[in-house]
Amino acid sequence: MFYRQAGTHHTTYRAAQRLFPIPFDRWQIGALLVIGLVAPFLIAPLYLKSYVLPWLIWTGAALGLNLILGWAGQFHFGYAAVMGIGAYTAVHATRGGIPFEIALVLAGAVATVIGCAFAITALRVRGLYLALSTLALQFVLDWVINKVPAVSGGTQATIQAPTMRLLGIQVVSDAGQYYVALFWCALVTLFMLNLRRTGLGRALVAVREKDFAAAVIGVNSFYYKLTAFAMSSFIGGVSGAILIFTFYHAVTPEQFTVNVSIQVLAMVIVGGLGSVIGCYFGVAFILLLPGIVANLIFAAANAMQLKIGIELLAHIPSLLYGVLIIGFLLFEPLGLAKIYSNLRNYLIYWPFGYERK
Amino acid sequence: MFKPLKLLLSTASLLLASQQPAFSAEPVKFALCYDLTKAYTFITPQIAQSVRDYAEVLNAKGGIEGHPIEIIVQDHGNEPQRGIECYEKVKQMGAITVDFLSTPVSRAVLPRAMKDGTVMVQALAGRGDAVDGDVFKWVFTLGPTYWGQAANIVGAYKKQSGDSLKGKKIAFLYIDYPFGQEPIPVLQELQKREGFDLQLFPYPLPGNDQSAAWSQLRRFQPDLIIHWAFSAMHVVAAKEAKRNGISLDKMITVNWFNEVDLANIGADAAKGLRKSSVVVSGTAHPLMQQITKELYDKGKGNGDRKFLGDTYYNVGLSIYAPVFEAARLAIKADKWPLTPEKMRKGMESLKNFDADGLVPPLTITAKDHGGGGKTRIDMWDGTKWVAQTDWSADYSDLVWATVKKYSAEFSKAGQ
Repeated sequence: MFYRQAGTHHTTYRAAQRLFPIPFDRWQIGALLVIGLVAPFLIAPLYLKSYVLPWLIWTGAALGLNLILGWAGQFHFGYAAVMGIGAYTAVHATRGGIPFEIALVLAGAVATVIGCAFAITALRVRGLYLALSTLALQFVLDWVINKVPAVSGGTQATIQAPTMRLLGIQVVSDAGQYYVALFWCALVTLFMLNLRRTGLGRALVAVREKDFAAAVIGVNSFYYKLTAFAMSSFIGGVSGAILIFTFYHAVTPEQFTVNVSIQVLAMVIVGGLGSVIGCYFGVAFILLLPGIVANLIFAAANAMQLKIGIELLAHIPSLLYGVLIIGFLLFEPLGLAKIYSNLRNYLIYWPFGYERK
Repeated sequence: MFKPLKLLLSTASLLLASQQPAFSAEPVKFALCYDLTKAYTFITPQIAQSVRDYAEVLNAKGGIEGHPIEIIVQDHGNEPQRGIECYEKVKQMGAITVDFLSTPVSRAVLPRAMKDGTVMVQALAGRGDAVDGDVFKWVFTLGPTYWGQAANIVGAYKKQSGDSLKGKKIAFLYIDYPFGQEPIPVLQELQKREGFDLQLFPYPLPGNDQSAAWSQLRRFQPDLIIHWAFSAMHVVAAKEAKRNGISLDKMITVNWFNEVDLANIGADAAKGLRKSSVVVSGTAHPLMQQITKELYDKGKGNGDRKFLGDTYYNVGLSIYAPVFEAARLAIKADKWPLTPEKMRKGMESLKNFDADGLVPPLTITAKDHGGGGKTRIDMWDGTKWVAQTDWSADYSDLVWATVKKYSAEFSKAGQ
């Protein structure tokens, strides 16, 4: 319906290879970008600070994990640890007087080095064994953070992040911090969208589908796996640093434990493996929905003057949330992104649905 | 994505707005953003229940200086992200204090509360050095730090053993993560001062397997075991103690020990066990009697009646008795409307407040937000808790030196 393709002729290779060949998609992206830019003026500070901002940061992080899981097909159960490396590096670096911009690159670099060090050993194995090796990365890092006071900050195990300074300007306002997160998220999104069209991206997909088949057609699977680990660790490290500087303002070990790793994994899987828009949906679903459902239930119980025990009341959202996850995955096992693309396909062909057969 | 999200949110806020206050005067709102579903469920239901009960009893008597008390309870599932969301929300709703009762969430919200100037109640969880009012102007711990509790336990034991600890063997048994590790620097310093023999016995999370720690502990044959743990860890420890032939009357635990743990160990088996207390136990206190009579006897309580007399129920009262009193002092001195600044001053004007013997006398000053950090040792005699000592705070110089060391690091980093 909206996605009219009539009259769209690809007369050059360049036009055929565009990111969004259908005009309506371009309009949509443009509109979303504009909404994203004016959001601080439209959305109440409460929702901007506690819903939209974390949503963008975690989407950036989830995209990094999707690169390794969805594109290269390698399990990664230690992604929170990678983010943690970036976060701790950036905080220690800025406290040591290094400018924020350089600290951010440093965060990505250190995360890449440590992430790859584990990846080299991990890449000798495949599937579930790889999952366990990356889980080891998580536990080694948890241990290091907990046991080395120089990293964690001693008994209190929490280190304040200095105020973020970008190009010499202090970024303290909500809007400023939001734009930093938006910029990073948009940058990663752009990178991931373009990755699909490059030789690198296609090589990763080849490795994902069957690594020795990829080797037969001349794709060095070890090299590409390592590259994927390096890229995703870099994105994870920088996202971790941004998470601390724009959202938490202090870094503690609990922010990057194993359950956070599982949570990011869930974001990617519920959203849809190998999908960019899926990450946006997945993060919203896993990160924001529990809180929203809980708020709705609390509000509804209050409005109806129900006298339910607070403990029971607090557990109803968890129950509903579980039902929702199962429901969505039953309805569409390929994730929320697939639901979106089904809808889009329906609209593209409407009213000539038989064309799709 | 924006549309459904905004729709959901606006529905929620509409529903919230449709609530009508029952009193004519504006309410004083206190927010409890608690973990009701994940790691802290062994304690939060009782505390939320007692705070709401107490508020209702006070409201029946006219509230705080004519203003009704409103308690906002919300679950944050021990997730920093949701804790921050809860904080921003209740701040907007006009909560005069916020309370998270979770170490990870308190740590995550603290920088914001300090920046915004919101009174944050952070009793028995979170940063220990927050007791330093010079640095943590907006955070109130309203009780002892873990450093203080450890020092008080050693102090009480010293008095009990004839004012000398020379040659005594003290074992520190703890769950090996920041909560359990916290008292170590204080205990090590006390070892130097008092000349006792200290050994550390950590066991890993989640605390189900303590066998390695206990077999080493048996070889050490300590005179006293100081145990830093909570919930099911106590039950595992009691089993291990029995297996290793160590009597539980050698053990003093941190304040996180309640009647549920007691029932799981067995009331008889736990005979002689001691704990560090921050509040009187049982239902004998007049306030408890009043709550029972006015709410539970009429079937109007805010939770299960079986929790009355649970130690954690009383802990809830011990945290909020001073908070409500501070709000009263603030309104009395500076008039309505109550602002965070006035509330902070109200807190800092609490003087020798003991809620008729419910809690140790608290004197909160601009410097000391813990109110003195007094605790006492209670012993389980098979049927009830018996106080072994008076409320006291020992080695205050050492505790404060430790506090200052960490708070100095915080203030250095904050700029």
